[in-house]
Amino acid sequence: MTQTASAPVGATGDPAAPTAGRRPRRARPRRGRASLGQALLWLGPALLLIFGVVVYPAVELVKASLSRYSITGLRKGDAGLDNYTNVLANESLGTVLTNTLVWVVAVVALTILISLGLAQFLTKEFWGRRIVRWAVIVPWAASLVITARLFSLIYSYYYGTLNAVLLKIGLVDTPIDFLGDDRWIMPSMIAVGVFVSIPFTAYVFVAGLHAIPTDVYEAARIDGASPWQIWRRITLPLLRPAILVATVLNMIYVFNSFPIIYTLNESNPGFSHDTTITFMYKLAFKSAEKDVGQSAAAGLFNVLLILVAVVIYLRVSRWREEEES
Amino acid sequence: MGTTTSRHTQAVRWGGLALGTAFALAACSGGTGAGTAGGGDSSGKKATTIKLVAAEYSKDHTKAFWDKFATDYKAKTGNTLEVQIVSWDDIDQQSSTMVQNNNPPDILNLNAYASYAKDDLLYSADDVLSDSVKSDLLEAFVKSGSYNGKMYGMPDLSSARAMFYNKKLFQQAGITAAPKTWDEFKADAKKVSALGNGAIGYGLPLGPEESQGEFSIWMFNNGGDWKKDGKWTINSAQNVETLSFLKSLSTDKLTQNNPGKTNRQDAFDLFASGKVGMVVGFSPLAATLDAAKKVDYGVAPMPTKADGGEPQTFGVTDYLMAFKKDGNKDAVKAFYDLYYQKDQVNSFIKAEGFLPVTKSGIEEFKSDTKLATYLETLPNAHLTPTDDPTWDKVKLAVQQNLGTAMTGDPKAVLDKLQKSAEAGG
Amino acid sequence: MNGTLSWRRIRPAAMPVIGLGVAFAFLWPYLVMLLDAFRPSGDVVQTPASILPREWKWTTFSEVVGDERFRAWLQTSLIVALSSTVIVVLVAVPAAYFTARFRFPGRIAFLFLVLITQMFSPTSLVVGIYREFYALTLVDTYQALILTNAAFNLAFAIWILHGFFASIPKEVEEAAELDGCGPLLRLRRVMLPLTLPGLVTATIFTFIAAWNEYVVALTLMLSDEKKPLTVGINSYVTGYEQNWDQLFGASIIAIVPVVILFAVIEKHLVGGLTAGSVK
Repeated sequence: MTQTASAPVGATGDPAAPTAGRRPRRARPRRGRASLGQALLWLGPALLLIFGVVVYPAVELVKASLSRYSITGLRKGDAGLDNYTNVLANESLGTVLTNTLVWVVAVVALTILISLGLAQFLTKEFWGRRIVRWAVIVPWAASLVITARLFSLIYSYYYGTLNAVLLKIGLVDTPIDFLGDDRWIMPSMIAVGVFVSIPFTAYVFVAGLHAIPTDVYEAARIDGASPWQIWRRITLPLLRPAILVATVLNMIYVFNSFPIIYTLNESNPGFSHDTTITFMYKLAFKSAEKDVGQSAAAGLFNVLLILVAVVIYLRVSRWREEEES
Repeated sequence: MGTTTSRHTQAVRWGGLALGTAFALAACSGGTGAGTAGGGDSSGKKATTIKLVAAEYSKDHTKAFWDKFATDYKAKTGNTLEVQIVSWDDIDQQSSTMVQNNNPPDILNLNAYASYAKDDLLYSADDVLSDSVKSDLLEAFVKSGSYNGKMYGMPDLSSARAMFYNKKLFQQAGITAAPKTWDEFKADAKKVSALGNGAIGYGLPLGPEESQGEFSIWMFNNGGDWKKDGKWTINSAQNVETLSFLKSLSTDKLTQNNPGKTNRQDAFDLFASGKVGMVVGFSPLAATLDAAKKVDYGVAPMPTKADGGEPQTFGVTDYLMAFKKDGNKDAVKAFYDLYYQKDQVNSFIKAEGFLPVTKSGIEEFKSDTKLATYLETLPNAHLTPTDDPTWDKVKLAVQQNLGTAMTGDPKAVLDKLQKSAEAGG
Repeated sequence: MNGTLSWRRIRPAAMPVIGLGVAFAFLWPYLVMLLDAFRPSGDVVQTPASILPREWKWTTFSEVVGDERFRAWLQTSLIVALSSTVIVVLVAVPAAYFTARFRFPGRIAFLFLVLITQMFSPTSLVVGIYREFYALTLVDTYQALILTNAAFNLAFAIWILHGFFASIPKEVEEAAELDGCGPLLRLRRVMLPLTLPGLVTATIFTFIAAWNEYVVALTLMLSDEKKPLTVGINSYVTGYEQNWDQLFGASIIAIVPVVILFAVIEKHLVGGLTAGSVK
């Protein structure tokens, strides 16, 4: 364990820790102000990890997007902005962007709504609550790759459990081609996307709900507020930071969610049900382009798209005001 | 209390320091380090360790074989063979990542080689294959492994397709012999479909996984091909006829649901469920069926379009290609020498349930009567144009587009593919 | 009023029943998976589908656990996920506390930088990651995977903890400051207990993300025994041979450590402010 965990973990056990003069208290003004030097001390490890492991490869990605590659991955020279213009000229780009919009908005919105209700339920006291909490975590605990494979079996036209159940209870006469019928593919993928996003989101809300002091509720109840009023006026505003965080992070994860779309859409030709992230992957390895340069450019467009979406969301929800208050 | 607190900061600070050093190093050496291709051997010296990136055919046999092979290799040459086993789904990505970083493996196991040969990354057989090995390889595979007159794609194993049919369904439908012509084939498919109870005449996989394979075998049996005399013939009259014929199977409801979106394995699974009258299969399917013992099946040559035509089989090989790196030539040559020893190559192929790639292998496999159908046709197997680097892209275009012909216009689909092939993929 | 009264009466019975329904809603696909682990692989893809196995196969789990390769993958996953989680917590807590409690130049920029790191999918960065760790000769080592996982999951931990630290009334900390506690001591004695739910969420999140990471491990880990479960279990189903039963059996086992971790620390999701302010 120790030799694998590298220095940061190993150092925790180091007992030789001098006590004096370690606190960065030097002439600190009133609460809430700190110098850049102090900031670096506290944020240093985080910054190092981020710059070392994320920023360096990101720079490599930018370089790749400006290079011309053979289909083997061999760099053939500079490409200028060709990769970017090629991606923008791809005839499937419009479809892919529409799919992405539908996918992200539907999955995030449904996830947040359902999770709000679920979190309320999970914070109530009742017999067996712990078991229910354990159960809810399972879709999150299971690997996405496996859950996606599992659902491609469950949805299957010929040997899927879902169709078997629907046929048995007489809801349908012939099986539904969930993963082959153009009307069903996206809804089927969205259902799985929501299913696997709920546990994480719900637990962010559960943690948020537990952080709300109970005496606030007591006061409101004494004032005769109805449960709905309490939820609307007290719970929701106090849960706002949690909702913001959950929404922003979900947006990012859902944008970048690869296995569900890749696996459930596996038997469909072309890009007709792809989102930007699977589009990017297929450009590099599965489509006739087979070009890691174009894929890198598409990857950067993808980041830009997420960035814009998140900034718009934060603007609309006035996150900065909250931060600055 | 105070002690623990500062111990905590201490830890964080130490951690930060350690990370910082690590990444400072990364920043300095990132550019140059990647340039020294050669996996640890400096130029001029002979490599004593070589790396193999191998595709995983089956969980229990692939790794076991290569582990033992590495031991034998070490015993024989004193060199070390590092083996990385990668799933077929991910091996393209893995090899591309390595090539992008100028750090390819010494030996790579893949289903394509021509683009790598074109990029001048590979040793040719002249450099690394002994004469005795080369003369033992089957002609068809030497040809398909040769780019610009030199062989680069050394075959590791092969497979050939044949028509699998469900004897029980055939009997119920009153069919006495496997079909010999397309007309008979279609009539038989109709009879099986008419049985009802979920029976499917023919399992047709034209989904993106491997639609080029399914289309190949049908086109070869109609006298068509991907390329003829060095020119692309994807939209030739025969090929349009072939694809239209496959489409007619779908529109006449003789196939499973949505054949344009069915991958090979799904068609095999349906056949293994006993619901499908016929499917184009290969020896690994036979192994699965034999293990499950549920479906009584027969294997027959493909039906041909023309009455009395000579059935064509579609052959596939995967490749073991060797990357040119400083000082690794002798180690690579020793690798091939050992791999193509009869007891190595043939035991690998047997364990994985595929077909041989050498003349001596055919002799050895002849005793297995179950393989007779394939072995006879193997030397004359018809392959896709894997010797043309353009094919590496055309293949992908075919995979992503062919299925759309099941609901669209076969000619338009093939015209588009022809155009992109002529444009160089 | 009447309605509320009768709800009060049936509540003790109704809530567990609803709970059961909720649990089932989240578990049913994995029950299907469990049933698939208990049938021969061919039966999984048999037409027509049957909900219960046509033929039961009880040996799947002993086959999986008895496999040396599987045990090695499991060990790698545990080492990598645990180490990554420890690093993330150690690095994220000071960063989140500081950004929540102090104004300093570049504060918003830092929070945004952290967020942006999440926007790059590892799939697109994997080539650069490989290049970096190859240069450091860390390819095929646990360290490479641990550092990568830690870096990619830092953002969530910092953000979630930042939210918790920020939501604690400043007065609580001020009281401690008046008692003469410096920022580190305040963090440890006052703030951390109050943000325990956030800490637990961050821990679970990081552990699960590291536990299920796929593409970086696929690229960096060359030796079979150093592959984590997510990559290793690919071997059960290849294009030529399918062991659905073992794939799903292994996947069920892979869920267990996460649920155990969750069960152990879940009770700390409760508590938070109420428990802390009693002091």
